Amino acid sequence: MKPVIEVQNLSRWYGNVLGLSDVTLQIEPGITGLLGPNGAGKSTFLRLITGQLKPNIGSVWISGQKVRNNYAMFQDLGVCPEQDSFYDELSGWQFLTGLLRLYHLSESEILAKARKALDIVELTPDKDRVIRSYSRGMRQRLKVAQAIAHEPEILILDEPLNGLDPLSRRKIIRLIKSYKEEGKTIVVSSHVLPEIEAMTKRIILIHQGKIFAQGDIHYIRDLIESHPHIISIKCSRPRELVSKFIQHDFVLKVNFIPDDDSLLVETNNRDKFFGLLPSLFVENNIEVFEVTSPDDNLQAVFDYLIGQ
Amino acid sequence: MTQSNVGKLKHLWNSVWDVFHFFFPLVRRARKSKVFYFISFLPVILAGIFKFSQIFTGHPRFEGIYIFSNMIMGFYLQFLILILALFYGTSVCSEELEGKTLTYLTTRPVPKSAIILGKYAAYTTLIALMVVFGLVFAFLILNVDDLLNFSLYKILFRNMAVLVLGLICYTAFFTMIGTFLKRSIMFGLIFSFGWENVIQYFPGSTQRFAIAHYLKSLLPTAQAHEGFAFLLFRLEPTPPALAVLILFLITAGFLILACVIFSWQEYILQD
Amino acid sequence: MTIKEKGYTHWDGEFLNKKLSWLPITRYGIKLTFRKKFFKLLFFLALTPAVLFLAGIYVAERLEDFQFMIREGEMPDFLNINPAYFKAYFTNDYILFMMVMILVFCGAGLISDDLKFNSLQLYFSRPITKRDYFLGKASVIVFFLFFVTLLPGLVFILMKLLFAASFEFLSTYPLLPFSVIGYSFLVTIFFAFYGLFLSSVNKNRRYVAILIFGLYIFSDILYGIFFGIFRNEYFALLSIKENLKQAGAFLFAQKLPHDIPWFLSFVIIAGFCILGAYVLKKKIRGVEVVK
Repeated sequence: MKPVIEVQNLSRWYGNVLGLSDVTLQIEPGITGLLGPNGAGKSTFLRLITGQLKPNIGSVWISGQKVRNNYAMFQDLGVCPEQDSFYDELSGWQFLTGLLRLYHLSESEILAKARKALDIVELTPDKDRVIRSYSRGMRQRLKVAQAIAHEPEILILDEPLNGLDPLSRRKIIRLIKSYKEEGKTIVVSSHVLPEIEAMTKRIILIHQGKIFAQGDIHYIRDLIESHPHIISIKCSRPRELVSKFIQHDFVLKVNFIPDDDSLLVETNNRDKFFGLLPSLFVENNIEVFEVTSPDDNLQAVFDYLIGQ
Repeated sequence: MTQSNVGKLKHLWNSVWDVFHFFFPLVRRARKSKVFYFISFLPVILAGIFKFSQIFTGHPRFEGIYIFSNMIMGFYLQFLILILALFYGTSVCSEELEGKTLTYLTTRPVPKSAIILGKYAAYTTLIALMVVFGLVFAFLILNVDDLLNFSLYKILFRNMAVLVLGLICYTAFFTMIGTFLKRSIMFGLIFSFGWENVIQYFPGSTQRFAIAHYLKSLLPTAQAHEGFAFLLFRLEPTPPALAVLILFLITAGFLILACVIFSWQEYILQD
Repeated sequence: MTIKEKGYTHWDGEFLNKKLSWLPITRYGIKLTFRKKFFKLLFFLALTPAVLFLAGIYVAERLEDFQFMIREGEMPDFLNINPAYFKAYFTNDYILFMMVMILVFCGAGLISDDLKFNSLQLYFSRPITKRDYFLGKASVIVFFLFFVTLLPGLVFILMKLLFAASFEFLSTYPLLPFSVIGYSFLVTIFFAFYGLFLSSVNKNRRYVAILIFGLYIFSDILYGIFFGIFRNEYFALLSIKENLKQAGAFLFAQKLPHDIPWFLSFVIIAGFCILGAYVLKKKIRGVEVVK
């Protein structure tokens, strides 16, 4: 398949801070997930490929065209920025129709497209309220609406699921997936693995401004699965709980923290472990105060991947 | 001019119009504009106070047109158009950066210069309307007993044209400043109430480095006999036609510069 | 208590009455202001009159070294070091203008930035009261304005005594130090209220900067227009600058610049401060967590 977005030796510094280092990749139609912890360089990458930033080294092409100062390109490109910022004094409807006007459409086209976009993100009932009064989730959906309203062929979405409740999250994920069916190109960033996993199998792992891995999510998943996880549990009868844990082979190690009535459990199968946990609590009538996973974040996975 | 250049110009014009269409209602309704509506309307209130006091005292100390001229010199030229141009001119770019809304504009199929020109046009139109409305009402109130004297309207239109020209020129300058200076307001205050206030009184050619010099050159020379006469101190006027030409050239120069800077400057929206 | 039983709870305890809890707010505000580009230049420009007036005190004291500058051996009026000399420093247009510029730099964002970034909750989630918050913010303005008012005033007196090597100056003008302290406090407290009040009006720092500067200039222009038409001295009460000059002239026991009762200017200044305090109280209360 012919790549839509091509990036060659892309590097960007902010003063002496490295934002992105020597990135070369090609993005084909479909959904591509950009995964990395906060500060990894995801937004820098997306700003570079949409021409918001100038690369220090390297170049970007979208559909064979140079990006920087090529405004015509945005006819077919929709961008959902990361910032939670709006023209707060406008209503959702005014915001959307105002931005659609910049596509030189006829009045009837503007109205039709605005209506459609608001319907898709389910903001139609609230379209006349000022944006200032919107909840975080509604603002996020409006941001998605302005990116899709002109029905672009390429969508660049920077953390589009931030601040959304599970229901809205599922809807946006479904929407993004439907765009894939239409043969469009979507680049979506997130620092939450399950979010990306729900949308696509094709991911780019970015960390410290570098691309660490690229390709099928199963490869990354396998790497993560084989990485032991530590889970901390604070409950009423920790020793009793341990006796139940040791019957399962996916529990590798248990440490007691006596002063705190808590234990640290090491497992090589996180999903099975969390599947088991609630039933153990209920069946044994154990009061649970806190369950945390100290290394359950992307940074830990990256640390593991880069061997730290 | 080639066909493609005509096409580009037409596209630029359409884009400017679209940006104007988006921002004019936005700025007209903005909460921040309300204070400026009030300030622009103050001359009307002042005019009312003067007229009432004239009516009640029975013997007018000054004619309406004299008070009107003093208002133009003291309030409009020295304060209002500077403050309006400074705030709205620097807002063209700075508010997009401060509000982190720039991405919404720069990811649309419009040239970056159209964003600057469209916003500039929207803001200048609004502040020009503010000034013109205040001015016309103040004029009518102050000259309510002499409304059939058509020579007075010549003075009104001339003053109005000077103020609108001033707004166009100053706003272009501050738009340009806003595209590259983070602290554009500080610079603008120093320019407006420092540089412009001092340089215009310098003898010889030095005063020609102030925009205010060209605006004053266009005002009727007999405008300030008393009161604000000091504002015309040492004025060596430039011929009116030349002054207008220079003001337009300055405006065009600053706007072109603003468009060039905005197109090439990189704006990092910090979280 | 299990997780499911936990909910939001209000803390009903007493604040520890810790002295100077506002100081970190002030320290941070001062640090931030100094980090701003061009502020140091502006601050330096604001201090230049102090250096000139100090040089004047030296010249007046060592007149024999500067005979070449003086006609017929007479002491020029402006070199008479007396309360009028101090008044000339404290109430000159340039110093007042520079104070407003400093206020624009250090005061515009003091509260408006907190409103913009929703950081008031962060302040009030610490053991500080609303009074501490205001005190901390106001002290930033007070710190910078004392540098151009109180500090130079006291240094002038000290240097005069040192150059003269006698206390005669103080015995001639025993009330002068009180005038310096009184006027410095008056003008600084007024500007602190003025700055904080306008900073709380809007979230946009640029807008606030325009308001701080614009209101100061506008009040003066209004006075100019009214006075130009009606020739009535009472219109000086419309001008912030003229009120401060009037108050300064009174405190330094000099001839008043306007032929109107001195206390009216004090009433106007106090009224503005009270209005400022009232608006601040209202504005800040609006974002506190309500039980």
